[in-house]
Amino acid sequence: MIVSIKDSVKLFGISIMTCCAVTVCNLFLNYYLDLTAIADLIDNPYAQMFYDAHIMTAKVVCAVSGGCLAITTVVMLFFYIKHYIDIHSKEIGILKALGYSDFKIAKGFSVFGLSVFIGCMTGYLLSFLLMPQFYELQNKDGYLPELSIRFHWILFVLLVIIPTVVFAMIAVCKSLLKLRQPCVNLLKGIVKTKGKSRNTRDKKTFVGEMRSSVLRSRKTLVFFIAFSSFCFSAMIQMSASMKDLSSEMMGLMIFVIGVVLAFTTLYIAVSTVIRSNQKNIAMMRVFGYKNEECKRSVLDGYRPAAYIGFVIGSVYQYGLLRVMVDIVFAGVEGVPKYKFDFPVCFITLGVFIVVYEGIMFAYGQAMKRIPLKQIMSE
Amino acid sequence: MIEIKDLTKFYGKGESRFKALDGVSVSIEDGEFIVILGASGSGKSTFLNVISGLETSDGGTVAYDGQQLDKMSEKELTKFRRDNTAYIFQQYYLLPHLNVEKNVRMGADLDNNKDYLKFIEAVGLSEKRKKFPAELSGGEQQRVAIARALAKNPKVLFLDEPTGALDEKTGRQVLDYIIKLQQEQGFMMIMVTHNSNIAETSDRIIKMNSGKIVSITENTDKKTAYEIGW
Ligand SMILES: Nc1ncnc2c1ncn2[C@@H]1O[C@H](COP(=O)(O)OP(=O)(O)OP(=O)(O)O)[C@@H](O)[C@H]1O
Ligand SMILES: [Mg+2]
Repeated sequence: MIVSIKDSVKLFGISIMTCCAVTVCNLFLNYYLDLTAIADLIDNPYAQMFYDAHIMTAKVVCAVSGGCLAITTVVMLFFYIKHYIDIHSKEIGILKALGYSDFKIAKGFSVFGLSVFIGCMTGYLLSFLLMPQFYELQNKDGYLPELSIRFHWILFVLLVIIPTVVFAMIAVCKSLLKLRQPCVNLLKGIVKTKGKSRNTRDKKTFVGEMRSSVLRSRKTLVFFIAFSSFCFSAMIQMSASMKDLSSEMMGLMIFVIGVVLAFTTLYIAVSTVIRSNQKNIAMMRVFGYKNEECKRSVLDGYRPAAYIGFVIGSVYQYGLLRVMVDIVFAGVEGVPKYKFDFPVCFITLGVFIVVYEGIMFAYGQAMKRIPLKQIMSE
Repeated sequence: MIEIKDLTKFYGKGESRFKALDGVSVSIEDGEFIVILGASGSGKSTFLNVISGLETSDGGTVAYDGQQLDKMSEKELTKFRRDNTAYIFQQYYLLPHLNVEKNVRMGADLDNNKDYLKFIEAVGLSEKRKKFPAELSGGEQQRVAIARALAKNPKVLFLDEPTGALDEKTGRQVLDYIIKLQQEQGFMMIMVTHNSNIAETSDRIIKMNSGKIVSITENTDKKTAYEIGW
């Protein structure tokens, strides 16, 4: 088998992503199911309003975070598969040349479902750890009848079993599609045939051209970098507002998820960029390009994506909270007024700039340690 | 001038420790053209890598005009390579995501060389300058690697089997061009080859075996790339 279980462990990005998604979704869905079970017990209109708002919140949160993270997980999975096939194109080409069928090779990729399973399972257990506190917080004012935590099989199936199976199937299908190319291309490592002979402007210097080719060769990474700063910006700003709108715990939870997601995706993206350009970096250094120039050509191209992600994140969290406050909680008393929080936004931006540029600087320094001999490794 | 004294290089550890270079000493003058011959595995590429500063040695010294390579920091070494050397590798090592022209610019930009197209023309690839390495034949890739190194206008040029993938006609053309350029600009040139005929075009011939230099011969009857056998 070409893909081993060890490979699926390397997909910890997917595990973390699904872990976050399942934690949030299970918290809210479990609460939602327990809440609907006591719908009959609600006797006064005030509690009814409170009930409706909670039901609505659960739906919105699950749809937004679950959906958003599910899509990102799919993108990440696609990226991993493409990356895996790119890196192992020679071995795969040889297998194909020997007569292995595409399906036989693709079947191995179902192992990637395992990383989804690990993430989902961890998230599922984690959510039960958080649940007692979560339930208490949700009803801290005591408007609703006493709620006890119940276990729902359906959620286990929905949040753990189904994602595992679906992602395993997606992995097989995606790799089947990727494998459908002539053996020779795989053997020679021609991955992209599109976009060739682009009439690139000849004025561009080598470093400039290198920068855009790095971006072009792995477009998904642009998305990841943008997503990373999107998470950072949206979740941190949202968590600051959450402290006023909801509770410290909600704020903290969102903060932690935001930071974890942001750093994982950034780490995955940047380390992939560097790993897949190791040879090029070594070659540039052999020619005498300074480390600063190598960094500029490999990492600096992502900066615009990062800052755009930050801006989108700010707008997104504002829009989401606006909807929550104006529509979901409309009419519920005691919900504080919500305005865009400029100081928080500026502070977050400041922290973001320091952290992002700091990390890039550190990676630039790490690039120095790539041995020149790297060019000679196959 | 390069002064090489008592150079040793080991690969591997413990039981499988292997002496790839075994006390190599030689001096090479500016503007000289050296050819290194030797059986496969005799340590030619290793020698080239160590004296060009791509790999560190495990003993002995390499000094360029009195400046010792092993005394330089990584930063100084980079600057040294930028200002002085160019390398043509046995396996070409082109940048796969850049077309021919951009690969050549990699060398040209370091010398602010705006006239790099002439090198692409000289190796006969003008027509293919927008192609990517994977779309070229092995010999064409090798010629791109040659153009890339020459475009840097180096003071010292290292070549590891630069014509290994070329047919006789193209091989002679390219070799002739390199040698003419070397004589015109007077850079130092150190070439590894399996083709002993090529040695007749050089100033001095170094023969290697099992990591040692077995002989250094002055070539008194220097021929052109078209006069030698192939
Ligand atoms: N990274 C390495 N690790 C271990 N051994 C190595 C390494 N690189 C080279 N060797 C060994 O060192 C010896 C000399 O290798 P080198 O590449 O210098 O040979 P060469 O003379 O260039 O041969 P060829 O003509 O085939 O290119 C060989 O026996 C090789 O197996
Ligand atoms: Mg060799």
